[in-house]
Amino acid sequence: MTPHLACVDLVKGYRKGKVQVPVLQGVDFEAARGEYVAVMGASGSGKSTLLHVLGLLDDPDRGRILLEGRPIDRLPDRRRDELRNRIFGFIFQSYHLLPELTALENVLTPLMIRYGVIAYKLRRKRLVHQARLLLDRVGLGHRCNHKPSELSGGEMQRAAIARALAGQPSILLADEPTGNLDAATGQAVLDLLRDLNREEGLTMIMVTHDAQVAAQADRVVRLTEGRIVECLTEVP
Amino acid sequence: MYMLLLCWRYLRTRYIALASIVSVMLGVATMIVVNAVMAGFADKMRDRLHGILSDVVVEGTSFDGFPYANEVMALIRSVGGDRVEALAATVDTPGIMSFQYGSQTITKPVQIIGVDPASRAAVGQFAQYLVGERGEPRPPSFEVDPTLRELNSHAAKLIHESDPDAETLAILQQHAQQEVPDHGAIPGYATVTHHPPGATEDIFLAPTGSRIILTFPSTGQAIEPRRDSFTVVSFFKSGMSEYDASFVFVPLERLQYLRGMGNGHEGRVNAIQIKTRPGTDLDRLALDLSRALWDRWPRGFSVQTWEQKQGPLLSAVALEQSILNILLFFIIAVAGFGILAIFSMIVVEKTRDIGILRALGASTRGVRAIFLGYGLSLGLVGSGVGMIGGLLFVAHINAIEAALSRLLGRKVFDDTIYYFNEIPVLVDPKTVALIVGAALLIAVGASVWPAHRAARLHPVRALRYE
Repeated sequence: MTPHLACVDLVKGYRKGKVQVPVLQGVDFEAARGEYVAVMGASGSGKSTLLHVLGLLDDPDRGRILLEGRPIDRLPDRRRDELRNRIFGFIFQSYHLLPELTALENVLTPLMIRYGVIAYKLRRKRLVHQARLLLDRVGLGHRCNHKPSELSGGEMQRAAIARALAGQPSILLADEPTGNLDAATGQAVLDLLRDLNREEGLTMIMVTHDAQVAAQADRVVRLTEGRIVECLTEVP
Repeated sequence: MYMLLLCWRYLRTRYIALASIVSVMLGVATMIVVNAVMAGFADKMRDRLHGILSDVVVEGTSFDGFPYANEVMALIRSVGGDRVEALAATVDTPGIMSFQYGSQTITKPVQIIGVDPASRAAVGQFAQYLVGERGEPRPPSFEVDPTLRELNSHAAKLIHESDPDAETLAILQQHAQQEVPDHGAIPGYATVTHHPPGATEDIFLAPTGSRIILTFPSTGQAIEPRRDSFTVVSFFKSGMSEYDASFVFVPLERLQYLRGMGNGHEGRVNAIQIKTRPGTDLDRLALDLSRALWDRWPRGFSVQTWEQKQGPLLSAVALEQSILNILLFFIIAVAGFGILAIFSMIVVEKTRDIGILRALGASTRGVRAIFLGYGLSLGLVGSGVGMIGGLLFVAHINAIEAALSRLLGRKVFDDTIYYFNEIPVLVDPKTVALIVGAALLIAVGASVWPAHRAARLHPVRALRYE
């Protein structure tokens, strides 16, 4: 079966001054549709870079990225923007909510980006309803009109998850989603992600350095020195 | 949609950016006020210039004037047709005015203009500018009132009081005539008054009834000085200091006689003033007349509209206004750099948000639009508030002037300089629109570079920005 998202021989380096620092040195990876994969690795091993390249936020130096078998790494900018908006949902360690907007507006942002002013206005009622349902789902129904500065860390991350889901993506890319949260709150967030994966059939790729967190995924891969060196499959 | 929402939120939450548009606001307000006042002055000045000059002036090219005034006038009437409403012939010559003030003889160079007061009044606002000593309006006439003579001549008073015999009467009458001559003159207000600094009232050096002596050249090849005495009957006060300080009006036929130019329309005159019907195309009429006159008397005449005649003055005012506008526009341009600096800072501050938006699928165009839109909305607020402030200032400029004068203890706007009792203003909607449009353009222009930088930020580097 064609994997939902895959990459082949992915190479990516950064330039630091005059020195080229290799980060990904030929990564082969794939995730089946509906799979929950954890990518583990020490800090600086290139986990986040892998996630960014997979999510079309960054260009690989070499190699291919395949979405349902079709290469997506050399698309024109407009197509890449569109894929980020429709196919991928990003969750970040430090939530990355827009501070000027309320929780509800933050959740609506991907939809506002998708539709033009008029198209958005025409659909506004339905979209706002959807966003409220999503906030309800993550347990923030009562915090819709609060700004990020008025939310706790766990609440912010849940709002960020609701935002990632707003565009009805098929792949969630989570970069250390529990990194800034205490154990109990972090677990609640992980449970939420687990449920989403099971109930909505979302493909989930989560980057973490925490073995306990990784253990909750269907499959764990380890990234060391720019390569995937170890594959552990756990059946839940 | 997100661009509008973010623009609106940024506008409401970044007060530092609002500070940057205060200068746009001040620039717009200042430009509106200055333009309104300058346009007001120019308009008033044009009004007055036009009031003194008739619509079109036909002048002879010779200092001695031209003969056949009647024929010229007939030609003007036939060419102008119903465009011509009234005509008046005038004679003018430079000259010297002298009069006695106490023990002192005051002598001034003047422009002597011979007019027929009634017909001159018909071709311009001449009559409106004639005043008495207390500023009261006076009729357009050179007639020397008998009461004026009695008031100013001892001989006349004696005749009136003592009923003298025929011989004495003749002598007294001759005296009276010397003291208060038969021919009236209307000197420019500023030629015979003095305004001491700080005084509220003008001092009349030659009040009504006083005798002035005018000396001027005769016509012909061997020019000789000619001299005659006149009685001041009223004053010419147009508000244009250039005219008020140099003109002296005397009866046309008297001046023609003295200069040896014949008599009235049969004699020679220097110019014919034409008043046209409202709505006449003056330039067209002037062209028609100069062609017709050229055909008949080549090189004999110059025909000019009042605007052409005052061209240098009017264009000097226009030049002044445009230079002032350029200088003031620099204020707004400086404001543009303020916006540029603050915007660059905001882009740095918002780097992470830009990364987030890119991750959510926003295009580079979208990110650019946020900051351009932000610049535009700042410009709108700045120029909008500036426009309202400027227009309010213009509407209450005289009240503000009065308050400032009270505060400073001296008059800010000295009405004796311009003879305007208040500051004239004229708001031209086109100018206001131009100023506001230019301010908007600068605000948007200043945000182009920061917006471009924001759009070009690499999403990953933006997300990682601490």
